[in-house]
Amino acid sequence: MDLIMQFIINSLIAGATYTLVTLGFNLVYGATKFVNMFHGVLAAVGGYTVFFFTQTIGIDLWVSIIVGIIGAGLVGFLADRFIFSTLRIKKASNLVMFIASLGAFIVLQAVLAMVFTSQFQSIVHSVDSPRVYEIGSAAITHIQLLIIITALFSSFGLVLLLRFTMFGKAVKAISDDEEVAKIIGIDTNKIIGYVFFIGSAIAGIAGILIGFDTGIQPTMGLAILLEGATASIIGGIGNLYGGIAGSFLLGFVENFGIWKIPSEWKGAITFSVLIIFLIFRPQGIFKK
Amino acid sequence: MAYLIHLAILFVIYAILGISLNLVVGYTGLLSVTHAAFFGIGAYIVAILGMQFGLNFFVGLLLGVVVAGIISFLIGFVLSRLGGDYYVLGTVGFNYIVWSVLLNWQEVTRGPLGIPGISRPKLFGLDFTSNLAFLFLAVIILGAIYVFSQSIVTSSFGRVLKAIREDERAINVFGYNTLYYKLTIFMIAAAMAAIAGSLFASYITFISPATFMVMESVFILAIVILGGFANLKGSLLGALFLIFLPEALRFVGFTEDIAAQMRQAVYGLLLVVLMLYRPQGLLGEYKL
Amino acid sequence: MAVLQTNKLEKHFDGVYAIDGLSIEVPKAAITSIIGPNGSGKTTLINVLSGMLDIDGGSIVLDGIRLSRFKSHEIPMYGLTRTFQEVRLFNQMTVLDNILVVLTERNVFSALFERHSNLHFMRTEELLKKINLWEKRNELAGNLSYGQRKLIEIARALAMEAQIYLLDEPFAGLFPEMLKVVVDIVKELKTRGKTVVLIEHNMDLIRELSDYVFVMDSGKLLADGKPNEVLNKREVIEAYLGE
Repeated sequence: MDLIMQFIINSLIAGATYTLVTLGFNLVYGATKFVNMFHGVLAAVGGYTVFFFTQTIGIDLWVSIIVGIIGAGLVGFLADRFIFSTLRIKKASNLVMFIASLGAFIVLQAVLAMVFTSQFQSIVHSVDSPRVYEIGSAAITHIQLLIIITALFSSFGLVLLLRFTMFGKAVKAISDDEEVAKIIGIDTNKIIGYVFFIGSAIAGIAGILIGFDTGIQPTMGLAILLEGATASIIGGIGNLYGGIAGSFLLGFVENFGIWKIPSEWKGAITFSVLIIFLIFRPQGIFKK
Repeated sequence: MAYLIHLAILFVIYAILGISLNLVVGYTGLLSVTHAAFFGIGAYIVAILGMQFGLNFFVGLLLGVVVAGIISFLIGFVLSRLGGDYYVLGTVGFNYIVWSVLLNWQEVTRGPLGIPGISRPKLFGLDFTSNLAFLFLAVIILGAIYVFSQSIVTSSFGRVLKAIREDERAINVFGYNTLYYKLTIFMIAAAMAAIAGSLFASYITFISPATFMVMESVFILAIVILGGFANLKGSLLGALFLIFLPEALRFVGFTEDIAAQMRQAVYGLLLVVLMLYRPQGLLGEYKL
Repeated sequence: MAVLQTNKLEKHFDGVYAIDGLSIEVPKAAITSIIGPNGSGKTTLINVLSGMLDIDGGSIVLDGIRLSRFKSHEIPMYGLTRTFQEVRLFNQMTVLDNILVVLTERNVFSALFERHSNLHFMRTEELLKKINLWEKRNELAGNLSYGQRKLIEIARALAMEAQIYLLDEPFAGLFPEMLKVVVDIVKELKTRGKTVVLIEHNMDLIRELSDYVFVMDSGKLLADGKPNEVLNKREVIEAYLGE
């Protein structure tokens, strides 16, 4: 019974982590309709920014976190300005956009490795052991609890933003049809720029929290992105709500999967789920 | 001189990978990011059979071709139903699963320890143990693969591949069961990648799962993109450039570790710049 | 005698009936036009007949065989071919290859070892000369003008040597001299005993070419008969004007 409780908690943590990745991924996909690989490395950007400001420069943690989030958002925004918006103007296909994002991903990952080495590092000082809360005999660390809370607030905030602001309506219009949105007078390029900023900032949050939970490495982005993409496919790619549901579903499948299967197969489980969904329900769990 | 031979052998192996992937990506328009999986399957079969059963390299090579053919048939059958983004993600997922098997099926693959001491090819008294002799063998195999690939792309079959790339639904109406064509070329390319893998294993004499990750598939894809889609000479050029690039970087004076990262950064940047200004690649005849 | 027949054919998209219980009989060795306002289901009908869309109800009788499920790559076996309204050429291939590709071997393994023969080449030359585009043979199909591309579509269909040709708006947007080429091709098909089904909006052309006309509206058959009878019917005129 206690084992189940721990599995449920672990599933929720995983689901919350994936949610933080899918939120931005789906937001960007909805507006631009391409699989943005660059999204993955932004998580690493967030993590390393905090690492740099707290450990190397020694600035206050909270300030560093805010800088990390804005930094990730800014990097995503700049990638759109210099790469993706140009490709949009050239009416490049979604596969061309995908390759460009992959290229940008590789560049930034390599730069991080050159600056910070390709070693695995910890954002927190390893001396202070993390605070742990106990629920029965199951346990959750302080930072893991924070991941769940942040995922909830981010989801809620993004949904409110998209539902009740002019910006949200513009994003909706662009997601439905960019050309039509342009015709009715929406400055699509500007709005998509904002979309990149917000989506990337959320990826930064994800990276920072993952960094606190498990540590950072320049190559962390690919796994994060692929897990997020899998969760998005499960929920229907480009669908924000679906992505949240898909994230938690994937979290549960993975964690209950490793109940019976050795845990090192977790990645294989994830991608088997991905392929199964691509074949049998490419539109996700919700859409008919 | 010895070092040049070493680079030449690596060039030959990656040229085989580039040419074979170009058949799938450039000619058939299927953006596959899973070539390293078949590369790995070929390498591991030669290594395991050679170590466990003392089997001759060439028998291992043939078995690798057969196994890669069968596996590519199965996964190709599944993936052929997907298009665009979904095909890309599906292939990435498959690559990850194969890597995960190589890493975790420790009884057979020795997991992360890898397999050392793989022997060089011997056949009818011919001994390819010296690097020069090995290069000779590798060049002959590359030559055969190049000629075979060239004959495929100039055959009636090759013309249908291009038509599938351009408009699969349309070519269907003219009496082509496109699934068979896509499967056949996918299997041929996988078998060629397995040959490259067996050469790699027996040349380096040590393999571990780390060589066959998703990023390796991306690297092979970069060879194809840089050289140009649907141009086999382009893939030779792409392999030449990307194999010699890190040497040039070291020559300039970077340390080995930084040079390795620089190589990543440069080829990532190349992908971005190509997508922006020359999406068909240097010698390419097809834009995605 | 009908060479192509539909029985209570149905096709819907998300509950909208694009084809709604349509039963028609297309006469052999004649030119039949299908007319109707935009959105009346004409192109959907061609897509269903060519296997590009699955049937939701009813059946199709092709060459005497009743079909309710078939794949588009099986269509040529029944002697049927088509063109596309939106012009679907293989853009990043040469004009020559656009024709050659439908002439060569269908079997995967034979195709691997086949190169186009002299016979294939001569047939392509003949077809491209017929549409006056032989000089353009080495250009990429995507680089040609709309009219030229439209002509290549028709040449590609001719290369199939079918019994039934479904031509989706073959004349739309053509300049007079190109239009004449297509009109002559359609007439020639008839004299060679082929069956032609046209989707067309130009009433003068319909009168000139058609032996028989079907009028569709909202996926249903509104009227059918000889062109002069049908085009003067009140409900047909209203269907068009009511648009």
